[in-house]
Amino acid sequence: MSKKVILVEDDLDDRELFFTFFSQRKDIVLLPPASNGVELIEFLNGVVSDEELPDLIILDQNMPKMNGKRALSYLKSEKRFANIPVVVYSTYTDSSLIIDCKNLGAGMVAVKPIDFQGYQKMMDDFLQIFDEIRR
Amino acid sequence: MKELSWDDQEIEISKLRKELAEANDTLEAIRTGQIDALVVSDDSGHSLFTLKSADRAYRLFIEQMTEGAVTLNHDGLITYCNSQFSQLVEYSLSNVMGNYFSDFIFNDDLPLYQELLSKGWTNNVKAEMRLRGATRSIDVQLSLNALEMDGDTSLSVIVTDLTQQKEIERELKAKNDQLRELNDALVASNHDLQQFASVASHDLQEPLRKIQVFTKLLKDNSFHQLPDTSRNFIEKIFNASQRMKVLIVDILTYSKLSAKDILTEKVDLKQIVTEIIEDFDLRIAEKNARVNVADLCEVEGNRGQLRQVFHNLISNALKFVSPDRHPIIEIRMKKLDPVELGLSIDDHSRYCRFTVSDNGIGFDETYTSSIFNLFETLNPKTAYEGSGIGLAIAKKIIEKHNGMIVAKSSIGEGSEFNVILPLKQPVADNE
Repeated sequence: MSKKVILVEDDLDDRELFFTFFSQRKDIVLLPPASNGVELIEFLNGVVSDEELPDLIILDQNMPKMNGKRALSYLKSEKRFANIPVVVYSTYTDSSLIIDCKNLGAGMVAVKPIDFQGYQKMMDDFLQIFDEIRR
Repeated sequence: MKELSWDDQEIEISKLRKELAEANDTLEAIRTGQIDALVVSDDSGHSLFTLKSADRAYRLFIEQMTEGAVTLNHDGLITYCNSQFSQLVEYSLSNVMGNYFSDFIFNDDLPLYQELLSKGWTNNVKAEMRLRGATRSIDVQLSLNALEMDGDTSLSVIVTDLTQQKEIERELKAKNDQLRELNDALVASNHDLQQFASVASHDLQEPLRKIQVFTKLLKDNSFHQLPDTSRNFIEKIFNASQRMKVLIVDILTYSKLSAKDILTEKVDLKQIVTEIIEDFDLRIAEKNARVNVADLCEVEGNRGQLRQVFHNLISNALKFVSPDRHPIIEIRMKKLDPVELGLSIDDHSRYCRFTVSDNGIGFDETYTSSIFNLFETLNPKTAYEGSGIGLAIAKKIIEKHNGMIVAKSSIGEGSEFNVILPLKQPVADNE
């Protein structure tokens, strides 16, 4: 069954790239994107049935209002959302971002790819989280 | 009154002078304890004044002191003072004795003095105030003690000159203020640098990535529709953006080398160099290079940073290869022989020298120190790709490890980079 994936990203180009590169994939369904952490939380709180919640949340790190790290920390502190796998991706990552996100409970941290192959590889890696959970 | 002749006046003056000199001698003799008794003849005959032995010791003592000493009677009148005090206020002894001590106190400090005086008869008290000298005001400390003398109580006042101390305090304060200003400026400048690092990491990289993404898309989607010249332009845009990415990441690495990093883990350099050579596998094969690694020892330091140093040095050796011959890169270690490098370092045994040498194109030794500067590249960019930051990073890291890096080279023959590191790092401050 395909996974419901929500992208939390403020950059319009990056959102568009997601839909351009992933529209062919059968293993994921892209939910309408949120543009920052606050919008994501509003969206999640508006979901009535737990079955409707996304299977995977992809957070951009650098966003206005609520950045990736803060959104991640909020999600992991909320009982209803704590079990949803969350990954963080960013233009620039350094060891402190990776360590912080891992400590906060991120499933993966990625550098934003620059081409089609890069994007596919990144999504494949993200989806491996589910294999690990099943095991 | 009888008129005196000129000559008589002369005689009178000289007589008075003599008496004055005698009186001064007597005063001096009393102060220095040379005499204990005085016989004074006046109209009513001779009278004897004796000075008790305890008093003599006291006089001797206070005359030797470097501080001013004054004794006061119950009215606050000066009954005695030593020459240090008279020098301090720049009045003669006779102009001091018999005056109220309060006459020498600066107006503003009079209330403080009165308070001190009232306590001084029963307690030992101290206070700082200003005295009025003949030509200047003087910062002093007064220390008051009641003393039994000649069967009576008098108040002893020790006067410590604080002029020099106050001057030093003022100077110190001025210096401290200056230091604080400089420090503030430094903090601000460091803050700016951190801001810059943050700007470089995100605000510059995001648009740069966009350039990469869309040139890549252009290339992937419509490459075949474009004429050769346009394809060429796209390649150039992509390569330029790639190069800029390297530049930004290198600047970031450089600016993030803060003093706070831990330097005390054991680092096996042999292992590090082996790993780096594995990473360069492809390039080594491509250039048909031979890399010889001798036995390297452990040093104390930051693993990631030391790795970066050797990565940059080996990367350079693989980059600046001569077109005429197969590259040979040697990585050696040697007990330090500082004289050979023209250096003077104290304790030989605690240092180790690592050498990365190649048989590449080399460089003019005139540039030995400038190659370690930011953005310094000696070769045209098209021939040898690089950001010009690699050696600057290496130098900064090595210097943070209390070591040094020295380059030797000759054009057309090869280069040699010597990294001198202490085997142990000094114990860090407990912060």
